[in-house]
Amino acid sequence: MTERYSFSLTTFSPSGKLVQIEYALAAVASGAPSVGIKATNGVVLATEKKHKSTLYDEHTVHKIETINKNIGMVYSGMGPDYRVLIKQARKLAQQYDLQYSDNIPSGVLVQKVAAVMQEYTQSGGVRPFGVSLLVAGWDEDEERPYLYQCDPSGAYFAWKATAMGKNFVNGKTFLEKRYSDNIELEDAVHTAILTLKESFEGQMTEDNIEVGICNKDGFRRLTPPEVKDYLAAIA
Amino acid sequence: MEAAFGTRNFSNLNSSDSAISHQRWSPYAFNGGTILAVAGEDFAVIAADTRLSEGFAIHTRDYPKTYQLTDKTVLACAGFHGDVLTMTKVMDWRLKMYEHDHHKKMSSSAIAAMLSTMLYYKRFFPYYVYNIIGGLDENGKGCVYSYDPVGSYEREVFRAAGSAGAILQPLLDNQIGFKNQTGVTHVPLSLNKALELVKDVFISAAERDIYTGDSLIINVVTKDGVKVDRFPLRRD
Amino acid sequence: MSIMQYNGSAIIAMTGKDCVAIASDKRFGIQLQTVAMDFQKIFEIGPHLFIGLSGLATDVQTVAQRIQFRKNLYELRENRKVKPDTLMSMVSNLLYERRFGPYFVEPVIAGLNEKTGKPFIASADLIGCSVILEDFAVAGTCTEQMYGMCESLWVPDMSPDALFECISQALMNAVDRDCVSGWGGVVHVIEKDKVTTRHLKARMD
Repeated sequence: MTERYSFSLTTFSPSGKLVQIEYALAAVASGAPSVGIKATNGVVLATEKKHKSTLYDEHTVHKIETINKNIGMVYSGMGPDYRVLIKQARKLAQQYDLQYSDNIPSGVLVQKVAAVMQEYTQSGGVRPFGVSLLVAGWDEDEERPYLYQCDPSGAYFAWKATAMGKNFVNGKTFLEKRYSDNIELEDAVHTAILTLKESFEGQMTEDNIEVGICNKDGFRRLTPPEVKDYLAAIA
Repeated sequence: MEAAFGTRNFSNLNSSDSAISHQRWSPYAFNGGTILAVAGEDFAVIAADTRLSEGFAIHTRDYPKTYQLTDKTVLACAGFHGDVLTMTKVMDWRLKMYEHDHHKKMSSSAIAAMLSTMLYYKRFFPYYVYNIIGGLDENGKGCVYSYDPVGSYEREVFRAAGSAGAILQPLLDNQIGFKNQTGVTHVPLSLNKALELVKDVFISAAERDIYTGDSLIINVVTKDGVKVDRFPLRRD
Repeated sequence: MSIMQYNGSAIIAMTGKDCVAIASDKRFGIQLQTVAMDFQKIFEIGPHLFIGLSGLATDVQTVAQRIQFRKNLYELRENRKVKPDTLMSMVSNLLYERRFGPYFVEPVIAGLNEKTGKPFIASADLIGCSVILEDFAVAGTCTEQMYGMCESLWVPDMSPDALFECISQALMNAVDRDCVSGWGGVVHVIEKDKVTTRHLKARMD
């Protein structure tokens, strides 16, 4: 009954823009920064995870999540919206596995997640997601890494390296200077942390950033001691 | 319980309450077993496995399904073992009576014809038995006769029957009958090749048919009499 | 009589050394009456990938079309060729969707893995219970006969020529003992750099 009159909130402005999507992108741009770099033998995702109070148990809730063996994600923007997309992505990955007895390729997953995000720009009674995603994947078929970005509009891109969220322009400029096509994963982790550090306010510790890596062995989030070692190396 | 007397009519049990389903008793069972006979120029090979089973149960792993009737004739039977026992008993009795009456052993062809009439005699309550006769004919040549359970019979060169009959027969067609082989000379079958082939096909049958296995009994009929050989098959 | 025997069919797949073969008969009949002797039961899904469908002829054609449809969508969506094991899962999935009103077909898949060149054969029942095999797979109205032939003739690591001879003899001698299959046969031998298709002359009675 209610659906019949629940028109989409995302409607064109006279100039041809969808302002709801622009607002969503603004929410992303004001969110915590995150960085992704594709190396020759893997991908790294890194993000700032600052807490408002020292009372938070900071290693319990994560921003970097795994989708399946070969795919991981991070976001900039609104945390609760991200959880919805994580749930959808995992469900899509399992559906694929059930149908083909094969791990979903990252490209296919991104396509499907992007379709979900697009649907939320055109359906009734909903608003667009207030997040952009960075998806790190290892393609078992082609034996190579992939790094994708997925926006609230449903647009998606494949990157060599990119930054999102607060100060993303500075982040990207920094990456443009630092990136090389033959960078290896170990170096890429350092570069990712350095990119975050460019705009980081205060002391960077293993408690206020998160790092995830993806290579032929699959995707995994680095443990705080591992992050601490990387931080010590760049200090 | 009352189903065992299916033909009797107990009026109190035949009431309108038809919710109870009756399992009708069957006079037949299937006890498996595969039989095979091959005729050569001056010999015949009659083989059978030794497993006797019912459903998923094995009654015995050592029951030869071949019966030496004379020193020139061997009968192989598969199907319902109860009928096999009765039928072979009648057969033995008929052979003895023939010997008393005619003062000679029955020839393979005479036994073959008699078996047909024995089976047809029970046309409307048949022996549930697949028969193959192998032996030497009046001229000393190898012969094989195959039957259906009601007595239709035919002289052939080779035949497989019983639970794995369909598994064995096409290979015999191909290897002994040279079916679907072009440009090969039709050499007469040697005893050695026949024995090798019989072993091979039974190994294959034991691989796929749960009612075939344990051991293989091979009867070789020549002018010197019947020689019996044994060969192990898979037992699972 | 079972609906699986209504039209009659026989399909075999076999592995060899760096090659696989798949063969079928060509009969299309209605019970004991033969209607056509050029009925297609094996379908090319990729350059090194074939599927044979035995069973009810109308379902053979429908399932072949639906597999083709799903495989086309898969290849467009993923921008890559479908692998033999992926096809097996796809077919299983398709058949199990009709768990309680099945297509009356039993599929047999034969192919080479595009990347490793490894031979792949598999078969399934009509609701998609699949099994991957090392030696041979059979389906149709004369499975007993085909099992008997394959079990005796098959040996590991056959050359493409030996494999062709083996699968052809297995098929022809099996269908000759079945009233509702036969009437000619077709054999595809799949190798890394070529697929050879041969049509068998057989008994037509």
